[in-house]
Amino acid sequence: MTLTRERFDSGLTYDAFKKGMTRNVERVEANEQRVTLDDDAVRFFRSLPRPVNVVVLAEDWCGDVIANLPVLGKLARETGKLNVRIFYRDQNLDLMERWLNQGKFQSIPVFAFFDEDMRELGHWIERPASVTKLRAEKRRAVFAKDPSYGSPDSPVDQLPEDVRNRLQADLQKMRDETTPFANAEVQRELKELVTALPVR
Amino acid sequence: MSPVKVKITYCAECGYEPQTLELAKALMYEFGHDLSAIELIPWDSGMFDVTVNGDLVHSMRREGGFPEHDVVKRAVRERLGATPTA
Repeated sequence: MTLTRERFDSGLTYDAFKKGMTRNVERVEANEQRVTLDDDAVRFFRSLPRPVNVVVLAEDWCGDVIANLPVLGKLARETGKLNVRIFYRDQNLDLMERWLNQGKFQSIPVFAFFDEDMRELGHWIERPASVTKLRAEKRRAVFAKDPSYGSPDSPVDQLPEDVRNRLQADLQKMRDETTPFANAEVQRELKELVTALPVR
Repeated sequence: MSPVKVKITYCAECGYEPQTLELAKALMYEFGHDLSAIELIPWDSGMFDVTVNGDLVHSMRREGGFPEHDVVKRAVRERLGATPTA
C-alpha cells in the first residue's frame, strides 16, 4: 500500500492535534503526565538507524485515543525516531478502510508505520488484547463484589441511579488502577511490532 | 394510554452522542407528550442499549450497530396500545 509523502505531511503533529482538540485535551495531558516510559522501549526506538513515519487515525472523543495516543506522543518526543502525523478518522475514511479492525470495525487509534519511502511496514489498532482481557476480568470482579450491581451483562439502566453512580465510580477506579499496566503494554507491543519491521 | 418511558444508555467514550440525540429527537417528534420520559444515560464499554418500559428492545452487543428508529418506535407504539405501523 502506498501513501504519498504529501498526504503524510498534511497530517497533524501530536502537538497540533492537541491544540485542535474540541474536548478531552485535559485528559490527554493528564494521561501523558502519567505515562512512565519504559527504558527498554526508549533505548530501542532511539537506536533505530532512521526515523519511522507513523500515520495515526484518531478522533478527540474516543477513549482509546485519549488513553493511547499520549503513550505514542511521549515516546516520539523522547526518542526522536517516530515521525507522527495524525488524521481525523471521519475525514479520512479511505485511510480507515485500509486498517479496519478484524476487517470490519473502524476502531481507533490506528498507528500505521511507514519507512522513508512511504512503504507500509505494519500497524497497530485500538489497544492491546492483554488490556482488554485484564479489564474484562476486573470488570467482572467489580460486579461480583457488590450484589446490588447485578450482572455485568444486564442493562445498567435497570439499576437505581445511586447504585449506577457508585458502579460508574468503581469502574473508573478500576480503569485508573489498570492504566500503568495498559501504558506498559502499549509500549511493549509497539516495540515488538517495530522490532519485526525491516527498518533496522 | 399507558405511560411509556424510554431509556437510552450510550457509550460516551465512543462518541455516540449524535446517534443518541437523533433517536431521542425522533421519539420526541413522533410521540410528543405521549412519552412519560426519555432518559439518556452516559456509559462506556461500547454500549448502545435502548429499553422501553424496562424491556431491552435494542442492544449494540446483542444486535450489533445502532437501532433502526422504526424498531424503537414500534416498541413504543405497542406499549402505548396503539396499532403498530410499518
